Amino acid sequence: MPLEIDKRPLWLVLAIRSARVLFFVSLAAAFYFALTISVPEGLTEGGRNAIAIFIVCLILWVTNAVPLAITSILAIVLVPLFGVLPSDETYSIFGNEAVFFILGAFILAGAVMHSGLSNRVALAILKRYGHAPKRMILSIFFLSAVLSFFMSEHAVAAMLFPIVFEIAKGLGLRPGKSNFGKVLFLSLAWGCVIGGVATFLGGARVPLAVGMLKEATGETINFLEYTVAVFPIVIVMLCVGTVLLLKLFPIEITDTGKANKLIAEKLQKVGKITYVEYAVGGVLFVTVLAWMTIGEHVGLAVIALAAVVALFVLKLVRWKDIEEYVNWGIILMYGGAITLGTALARSGAAEWVATQTIGRWGTGPAAVIAIFSLMTLLLTEGISNAAVIAILLPIGIGMAGKYAMDPTLITYAIAVPAGLAFSLPMSTPANAIAVSSNYITVKELVKVGVIMSFTSWVVFNLVANYYWPLIGLWGN
Amino acid sequence: MWEDFLIWKSYLDNPGTLKIDLMLRGIRIADPVHSISCADSSIDLVLPDGILANVPCCEPYTEASLYVLKENHDGGYVIGDGTAEVPVQLIEKPDFLSGQTKSGVPFSDIAELHGSYVVISPASGCEFFNEGIECSYCSGGFDTDEASKVFSVDDVLEVVEAVKKAKAAEIVYLSIGFSKGADGGIKFLTPYIQAIKKFFNVIVAVEALPPKRNHWIDHTYAVGADSVLYNLEIYDKELFELICPGRAGLIGRNRYLNALKYAATVFPSGTVASHLIVGLEPPGSTNKGIDCLTDMGVVPILPIYRPRPGKALGIDPLTTEIIIPVYRHLYKTVRDKNINMNWVSDISVLTTPLEGRNLLDDPEGGNIFESFYRSKLGKKTAWGLSSIRRKLRVRGKAFTVKGDD
Ligand code: SF4
Repeated sequence: MPLEIDKRPLWLVLAIRSARVLFFVSLAAAFYFALTISVPEGLTEGGRNAIAIFIVCLILWVTNAVPLAITSILAIVLVPLFGVLPSDETYSIFGNEAVFFILGAFILAGAVMHSGLSNRVALAILKRYGHAPKRMILSIFFLSAVLSFFMSEHAVAAMLFPIVFEIAKGLGLRPGKSNFGKVLFLSLAWGCVIGGVATFLGGARVPLAVGMLKEATGETINFLEYTVAVFPIVIVMLCVGTVLLLKLFPIEITDTGKANKLIAEKLQKVGKITYVEYAVGGVLFVTVLAWMTIGEHVGLAVIALAAVVALFVLKLVRWKDIEEYVNWGIILMYGGAITLGTALARSGAAEWVATQTIGRWGTGPAAVIAIFSLMTLLLTEGISNAAVIAILLPIGIGMAGKYAMDPTLITYAIAVPAGLAFSLPMSTPANAIAVSSNYITVKELVKVGVIMSFTSWVVFNLVANYYWPLIGLWGN
Repeated sequence: MWEDFLIWKSYLDNPGTLKIDLMLRGIRIADPVHSISCADSSIDLVLPDGILANVPCCEPYTEASLYVLKENHDGGYVIGDGTAEVPVQLIEKPDFLSGQTKSGVPFSDIAELHGSYVVISPASGCEFFNEGIECSYCSGGFDTDEASKVFSVDDVLEVVEAVKKAKAAEIVYLSIGFSKGADGGIKFLTPYIQAIKKFFNVIVAVEALPPKRNHWIDHTYAVGADSVLYNLEIYDKELFELICPGRAGLIGRNRYLNALKYAATVFPSGTVASHLIVGLEPPGSTNKGIDCLTDMGVVPILPIYRPRPGKALGIDPLTTEIIIPVYRHLYKTVRDKNINMNWVSDISVLTTPLEGRNLLDDPEGGNIFESFYRSKLGKKTAWGLSSIRRKLRVRGKAFTVKGDD
């Protein structure tokens, strides 16, 4: 940040600078107040305290006043401290299976990227299919989506960004002016967002939601079941995305020769496929297969961690290489969120909150799904998708109890839309990366993103109401 | 001759006017006043009401002074003018100044004590001397590149430590002559300011020439300077060009005024100051300078011109009678424009705006804040508040000292 002297009146500067202190003091005061009010009817003392802790965490997650992980740590401090759950129970929930699944998935994705396999696949697909402008757009769009089936959409966006940027530069596209440039980066962002909801691997939010569901209700969703339930949404959104990408910004170029040359050169530099790439690809393939087939019996985390051990036994990666790919902050955040969600559910607070709030508007399961999916879509544009799940899912699970709904439905209604953030750069790194290219502005992203967000909400609800009963997910 | 006697007036009853008259005329030291050394050409005295005065005692013109410093019967000192006497205190040259740094530099080469502040010149060069365009009255001990010395940060820190130990001063003035860079010398001073601020709770004032661009003024504040002085010295444009050819030609009067104006928006009220030497231009012109500077929120500081041997400008110093209204004007203007006068106080070598109050026909009393500011606790509080203000106002990082423009 360049040096700047703030010349506003000193009292104003002081007020602004002390806002943070005031914020925390007010938060502490509000927390104290919430703990001292008399216990409402239908709620236990533990439930009241759980709600007070939840409100504090909700405010911290939404405002990002401290890192998300730190809010989660605060949650696991407060839950036992105020008698919501015993200390040993709190920490055993923190060490949830989902947390270890996420850890395994991070390491696996790190190994794929570090081996160069993902980069090779990306370049090969672009070389094979990107011969004309429209084909290049669709190659990037589908490539981002398909890669996000297998690894974190954030990692895919970060990996493909330099390639797409070089394509744009190689074609001489002018930032902010070229429609082809805009569409290139939009296709990257949208591909990652849509593909990211297809499996457990696109982001850690689905494992988080499933972990919270399992801790609160004992129910679970397996890898294949989830993908089968969500895939139609992904297919329809990919079709809608294709149409919008090709129609919204008329492409001004007719030839991608220079870009193809560039890609070919890059691919040549990557050299022959190595033993490590083959082996990492093999481990990934076996792992995904195991998740789909024996995941429910063995446990997803067990398979993920077994794969990690295999990577190291086969000497395919070193710990030093992997460390930079593991987001420990996210792991802590998820552990805390699961703990807090469980505390809300087990203390009866979640159901009580659901009855007092959204319960008043919901007229039946379909309306509840519609309301939760809409709220999630709106919230996920502004705050981290994991935070949205941490905030809404405990209430949603409570709501399911009220309408005698299967809580897995609510889990889908929150976990899936939480990943469908199309409109704002802060909603997901893929959007932020697209805007950082300077080819597309925030205004343009919002304009087209709103169409995608609304469409995705409609599509999600249509799939939930008409397709899920067909696969036995919704028995009404 | 007797008319002369008629217009002559004794100033002993008003320490404010006495300070001015003493600075103009100097003082003789009666024998035997054994403990007094006038080796530095002047002595520091505390006049009644606690007013500090630095009085010439060795220059040839002091031999004709009316004033004599004598020891009285109880071992104290008095100043007499032939008609009456007033008690004064003699400020002995502090012992620590006779010390030297670990690298062997005498402290007195690096620092000079002027009342409640110490002036440190980490480099003794002024590039105006290289080109023969130095200010005609210059007595700052600055010199050409070849003759100039640069003292290390460690040497300077040792001096400040000694000053603090001796409780000799709470304010450190870092002074630097002209250098050609766009930064006005602040790049060079930055490590000194930062080191002093890191190790000592003192107020640091920077006395430099205005940088070419305002962001260096931001930098000066950001790195820890509590006060800044860009000394215009002469407000009249023609006289400025004549007497200060270097300042006029390489910096320009407008840049002085613009830099001061900008600095007054960055630094706290009363901490941006500029010297206007009384006696180098007509008093009316000095008054105009006072008006102009105070309009911008800058405190004018008015040293009195005293010819020095070998630096004669052919300008006769003004008389006390002519100078007093200028100081009155200074006090009233600074007061009426609500500029804090407390930062510039207790200086022995010049009459501060606050001391101008003693020159009013009906002198106003000081307020409680003033006495507080002058106390040790007040100085510490000023230092603390100044640091808090900087924390609030400064965003981002000061430049690395590698940057040039
Ligand atoms: S700027 Fe003028 S007064 Fe200051 S040191 Fe240089 S020549 Fe002397």
